[in-house]
Amino acid sequence: MILAPVEYCRPDTVDEAVEALNSSPDARALAGGQSLINVLKMRAAAVDLLVDISRLEELKGIVRHDDGTLEIGAGVTYAELAESDLLGGDPRAIAEVAADTVDPQVRHRGTIGGNVCHADPINNFPPLMVALGATMHVVGPDGAARDIPAEEFFTGFFTTAVEDGELLKSITVPALADGTAVGYVDLEIGEAAARAVAVVRTEDDQIAEAKLVIGCLPVPTRRPEVEAALVGTAVTEAAVAEATAAAADGVEPLSDADATAEYRKAVIPVVAKRAVLAAAKGGHRG
Amino acid sequence: MDRSDTFDIEFTLNGEAVAATVPARRLLIHFLRDDLDLTGPKIGCDTGHCGACTVLYNGRTIKSCMMLAVQADGATIETVEALAADGEMTPVQQAFHEHHALQCGYCTSGMVMSATYLLEKNPSPSPEEIREGLRGNLCRCTGYVNIVEAVAAAAGKETSA
Amino acid sequence: MTAPTRVETPRWTGQNYPRKEDRRLLTGQGRYVDDRGMIRQGYAHFVRSPYAHARIVSIDTSKLENMTGVYCTLVGEEVKEMTDPLFQIAPPPGGNMVEYLMAVDKVRYQGEPVAVVLAETRELARDAADLVEVKYEPLPPVTDAIAAQEPDAPILHDEVGTNVSWQGTYEYGDIDWALSEADHVVKIDKLHFHRFSSTPIECFGVVVNWDRGTDTIEVISNNQMPMFGAMMIAPSLRIGIDRFEFVSQDIGGGFGIKINLYKQTGVLALLSRKAGRPVKWVETRTEHHLDGGHGNERWFLDIEVPVMADGTILGVKARAIDDAGAYLHYEPLGAVIWSQVLPGCYKMRHFRIDYSQSLTNKCPTVPNRGYSRMQHLWMLERIVDVVAHELGFDPVEIRKRNYVQPEDYPYETPNGCVYDSGNLPLSLDKALELVDYPKWRERQKEAEGTTKRIGIGIGSTLDSGTNNFGQSRIINRELPFSGNGEAAICKLDLYGEVSVALGTTPQGQGHETTAAQVVADILGITPEEVTVIPGFDQARNSYVGFSGTYASQFAVTGINAVIGAANKLKAEMVELAALVLGASEEEIELAEGHARVIGDPERAIPFIGLANMVYTNNAELPTEVAERISLNCRHVYVPPFDPPDPDRKYGNLTLTYASQIHVAVVEVDTETGKVEVLDYAAVDDCGTRINPQIVEGQVHGAAAHGIAAALREEMRYDEDGQLLNANFLYYHAPSAADMPHIKTDWVESPSPFTGTGAKGMGEGGGAPLHAICSAIQDALGTDVPIVADSFNPPERVYRLLHGEGLGAGRGVEVVAKGGS
Ligand code: FES
Ligand code: FES
Repeated sequence: MILAPVEYCRPDTVDEAVEALNSSPDARALAGGQSLINVLKMRAAAVDLLVDISRLEELKGIVRHDDGTLEIGAGVTYAELAESDLLGGDPRAIAEVAADTVDPQVRHRGTIGGNVCHADPINNFPPLMVALGATMHVVGPDGAARDIPAEEFFTGFFTTAVEDGELLKSITVPALADGTAVGYVDLEIGEAAARAVAVVRTEDDQIAEAKLVIGCLPVPTRRPEVEAALVGTAVTEAAVAEATAAAADGVEPLSDADATAEYRKAVIPVVAKRAVLAAAKGGHRG
Repeated sequence: MDRSDTFDIEFTLNGEAVAATVPARRLLIHFLRDDLDLTGPKIGCDTGHCGACTVLYNGRTIKSCMMLAVQADGATIETVEALAADGEMTPVQQAFHEHHALQCGYCTSGMVMSATYLLEKNPSPSPEEIREGLRGNLCRCTGYVNIVEAVAAAAGKETSA
Repeated sequence: MTAPTRVETPRWTGQNYPRKEDRRLLTGQGRYVDDRGMIRQGYAHFVRSPYAHARIVSIDTSKLENMTGVYCTLVGEEVKEMTDPLFQIAPPPGGNMVEYLMAVDKVRYQGEPVAVVLAETRELARDAADLVEVKYEPLPPVTDAIAAQEPDAPILHDEVGTNVSWQGTYEYGDIDWALSEADHVVKIDKLHFHRFSSTPIECFGVVVNWDRGTDTIEVISNNQMPMFGAMMIAPSLRIGIDRFEFVSQDIGGGFGIKINLYKQTGVLALLSRKAGRPVKWVETRTEHHLDGGHGNERWFLDIEVPVMADGTILGVKARAIDDAGAYLHYEPLGAVIWSQVLPGCYKMRHFRIDYSQSLTNKCPTVPNRGYSRMQHLWMLERIVDVVAHELGFDPVEIRKRNYVQPEDYPYETPNGCVYDSGNLPLSLDKALELVDYPKWRERQKEAEGTTKRIGIGIGSTLDSGTNNFGQSRIINRELPFSGNGEAAICKLDLYGEVSVALGTTPQGQGHETTAAQVVADILGITPEEVTVIPGFDQARNSYVGFSGTYASQFAVTGINAVIGAANKLKAEMVELAALVLGASEEEIELAEGHARVIGDPERAIPFIGLANMVYTNNAELPTEVAERISLNCRHVYVPPFDPPDPDRKYGNLTLTYASQIHVAVVEVDTETGKVEVLDYAAVDDCGTRINPQIVEGQVHGAAAHGIAAALREEMRYDEDGQLLNANFLYYHAPSAADMPHIKTDWVESPSPFTGTGAKGMGEGGGAPLHAICSAIQDALGTDVPIVADSFNPPERVYRLLHGEGLGAGRGVEVVAKGGS
């Protein structure tokens, strides 16, 4: 596959990168390239300038702040996330999801920033970021900076709140409250076809607090009614199944060669139930 | 910070310094194969799924069809050609040979690179870990059975599952 | 395992000799087509139709005319002027098809080439192709093989006049009698065998030069059956076969699909002639999925199965509708090839199969590992399972009852094929033992009532190897084809080197190794001392019309050609040695690189001495000997075949029958329909094994293809004829992490027909498709519709669990007869 003619530059700082991104309307940031290169090979987007941000040290750090908040540079690769000592603790779901992303070669190049900015419905980090209540830090021209809650970050099919000329710099993830764990479950049909992420706090074998996000949809979607129904529910399969039965109500999954929307709607409650149970039982991926 | 459609790059390839001028749009795999005649890494897909083009980039496996050649600037790259450079096949290559872990051989350059990297990271992987470690490399000939056995054997272990 | 050491009487045949081809492939030194090129070559890029069915209104290449670095273009209209339509295997109506090397007037599947551009670099060719302006007038597409036969269906090929390319009835025994006499008749509405491809990791590639000086065409390609390609395109190009020199060294997998690489070769040859320079073209993965060729999709309708009270199945009545795609590439040979295994592994005697083939606006089908037999065998295995489930027979017992028994061989099938040897019950026992069958039956019971049901399934198939091409006359009695054959050359060279040239064009099957093993045994040397020249080169003259690696035949045709050539060489060497050592020929043995007198090792001459006598010292030889002996021996092996009887559709269509008995254990997640393979066993019987390790590798590969096809892979078209999974993003070829471990064992029933006892193998019969469908059925039970599709992704299984199947109701009906 041959890319269309394109220009390239490799800025040394985030400021220079933003400047370059603003130098032409069809400029795109090239991070790990594990999605963008495919877009370019297919000639599916008009891009005239690739701004290579893969070596920017400013985007590389993983920092644990005193309050437990985790700050992850947009340029951190999946492999770096998976191997980071800082992620050994809480929320370890980030490291686990990173460690399970696609394959080793992709993990060595692909970045968390690229994952969320590409916003492919099948990408694994968007629903996790929403479920964890992450905040996206975006920089723009002339030193402008915006903080966008993950829940508002994903705006549509392959689109995010990042405007042309802006760059995602880092993501902060708050610490989980005591007794809280993350459940992450997807149904894979070649690629992920249905996915649910649950963040659940239990007290005395009952669910005290719950967040449920459905993935593999055009936008990762929270289910407040289900979350409400889960509170006070016993941690049993029957009780959780009842509470998550409505997990697919009103959502509109995609149809493709792997599965129809109808089927996806039918199995969303199943993955939702499993994610909640996994979280309630102390955190688990499946 | 220059923007351009052509770049002069310098990098280390299989232990030797290379300098070249490349168009910005050229993929690393095409540069290696077409410009440098290093045809060990293969092309098997359009979308970064087959892993036939796997090389080491600064010591880590990557798919060279998912990177631009210009991004090799300043890096250290190793291809399958580096493995038996002294004429002696490496333990992984030897194990592939003894366990019949290749048929048409088209996936083999990439597979051997991934297997070598896997054993470097995890010297005694379980069969499941081997399978996971090779997730980025497709083989349509072997059904993977003998590949898993070969990697386990190279790790100094026999496997039954 | 280490290389075997030299013993007193070396017997290399039968040993796990590590492959000779490995070292170059492991060190990145293989030479595949994309690794090669020619001086002054340009790069070609095809312009392809985005539509499944459309009229070509115009093609405008004017933007390319003065583009620097663009050498030339070629469009369908020009091809039409320069060439004749391709030869068609089908009789009318299918045979009326006018098919040129490139689309003219009309496109008939998405991705069909309409123009080709030649430029200085790959990049330029790709960019320039975007500037070719093609105007299309879209036509309604036909994507369903059944609907294609409706009277109001849009017609693909006007000159054919119908979308039915071939039609015929295969009738043996008396199925009406059987249906009336049987205790039960099991009726199945509809079964569907899906479209997939083994998708070799290396896509097609061609480097071709139409040399102006000599008017010859050198073709470096990865065509796995180049002489078939030459046979197809030479008349179209209006030249003789002798103008071609097909060459290949290493090929990155073929699985039958690479037989389809001939139209492109023809177009690129024309492009080379027009440009006056060599042309290189390498297909992309997306192009390969769109245009490379797919395996046959097939429907089975109105199936009726007569069954006796004791479980004896008497035969089958059914309609089969095959989906050939848009053109007949190698087709309609598939319309007879399935009948090589008419009764499968079973002693059924009564058949009526109404077979027809539809043309649809999809990629042409081509032979794909298990070609045409696996579709039919899948139907038979589904039938046996459905009968067992519906009538309450044990699936193991019903198979053993109906299998051809060990004492029945050679067993003549109702259509005159002769099953050479085998032991199916023993193979089944071994496979069940490998998975610990009783344990899983236990586990299955424990899992009852949970959301994780367990099922155990059996696939019993045959890999019919070495075609009798005479069967093509059952399709079209005018065809001048029969028999089969392969050539090999074995040579003692100037300094005593032994070399072998093959015609087989392997793609990973280890022919360099197995050929070396048998030659080593014949000439008393080691396999290291035998050079098997890698790949194929037409100029070596080691080929016949049927040469190639396909139809599971190397172990018979290829090896027997090698043995024949080596024996001829040995005879010449022995004659020379007897002459020079003053002994009789009976007293001479070849051992350790010498010809020597048995029992008198002092009287010996090294191979180099024998070579010297012929090559450089021939005045010392008697003239009669010098004129006759060349030490360069070509042998053509011809398997013992007679032409079949086209009227009765009867005859021996295949020389050998290897068997595969597979057992799959699956877990079905009833909440999602997802199927996981928990255990898998394959027991093959391919007679005498020349290199067991290589045989086992083929078993693994064929099993993996089938498992993946059953659960992950489908070439899926939408109603507009758009392929939904035209690359590995969407076509889920499995990685190691997606595949189960495959346990193997073997039974060795030597074939009485092949000299060596070996049988062709490698394709497998698609046994995993049967085993997995059977296992899913076993897990689901009889409360839900039958498993009626060979492809069972989660959604399909989920729908079965919720009562949605292919046919009406559960898709099956049992009619009890005679009060039983
Ligand atoms: S060619 Fe790079 S992954 Fe397939
Ligand atoms: S050996 Fe052929 S693809 Fe792996």
